[in-house]
Amino acid sequence: MNELKGIDMRDAKQTDTVDRLVGLTASDQTYQVRHQRDKVVAATQGSENGLFDPALEGLTVTERLYVALFACVLTPAPELVREYTERLIAQGADAEMMDFVAAGALENIQSPRLHAILKFTRTLITDPVKADRHALLALPQAGLSTAELVTLAQLIAFVSYQVRLVAGLKAMKSLEKSA
Amino acid sequence: MSAPIDIKGFTNDTLGWKAWLDVVSLDSATPEQMAVLEESHPKAKVSDYYLFLVHQPEILKQRSVAFNAIMYAPGGMPRAERELGATVVSRINGCVYCASVHAQRFEQLAKTQEAIIEVFTEPHGAGTTPRERAIVEFSIELTAQPGEVSVKSIQKLKDVGLTEPEILDLIHSVAIFAWANRLMLNLGEPVFPAKESST
Repeated sequence: MNELKGIDMRDAKQTDTVDRLVGLTASDQTYQVRHQRDKVVAATQGSENGLFDPALEGLTVTERLYVALFACVLTPAPELVREYTERLIAQGADAEMMDFVAAGALENIQSPRLHAILKFTRTLITDPVKADRHALLALPQAGLSTAELVTLAQLIAFVSYQVRLVAGLKAMKSLEKSA
Repeated sequence: MSAPIDIKGFTNDTLGWKAWLDVVSLDSATPEQMAVLEESHPKAKVSDYYLFLVHQPEILKQRSVAFNAIMYAPGGMPRAERELGATVVSRINGCVYCASVHAQRFEQLAKTQEAIIEVFTEPHGAGTTPRERAIVEFSIELTAQPGEVSVKSIQKLKDVGLTEPEILDLIHSVAIFAWANRLMLNLGEPVFPAKESST
């Protein structure tokens, strides 16, 4: 509970991650346009909540945050790099490991499990067509169960969605402000 | 209207899809898993894709709500144009399965396949009207270089007549296929129908 305090306090002000990252508030035209699609807004946040739910068995929350951080580093998506870095700090993650992930220095990561997870992340983010059967089957070999692997794939795919949604909305908001 | 297309490995044919790892069997599915399958898609219970993703039912549930709201909700951008965006993203990412499904849907809704032939042949510059070309160009940019999307990118869409709700729908359609392609490409593979002479 204690390690989530930072997130809880921030969320008390604004619970929607995408709105917070884009800087959307109710008076913005872009906010109003976005919230006309309220089902999408709710399911986007619902997906994030589900993917990072501490009660979800399998991948630890810290492993999931490393994946999200690495995906955003590779995209690149600076606001989201900051976001997931802060969450890792709040989670008490190892500072050296965070540096390795942020620098893409997978060769320095000793854990075969985390190494395999991040290698799969890199392929899916940068060149999804290369993530073939062989890439997938490396994960059960590194000890991941099928359910963990589904979480991992959904997480990487969700972050791919989230960075593009944030990028698009940011551009819409910038145009609104420059008008 | 819907003649067979087979260009650079992309097709509008009806393909199957099989998972590379164990799917959930209906005999052992929990009531929650059954409920999520029923909400996700009419054919989810006979689809390897849904039967694999339902290993994590809550995540599949949220994803299905987002997907269905983005692609099928009334109002905003015409559904054919959302399908065009989805097809372009799938072509850029190399997802033959997703491209086939959404090419078909575009053809059904738009009653033409000209844009699909162009997108499959060469996505850059594809589109039969200035509006289609702008949608295709934006879909490529947000897919390949999300960090480069700027005020100018949005202005180009406005210049060809897209309203803000339509631009939002396009952003959603492109973004949700960044998601969908990464599942379809990486958890299994398309199954092609047996070759036969179709006339």
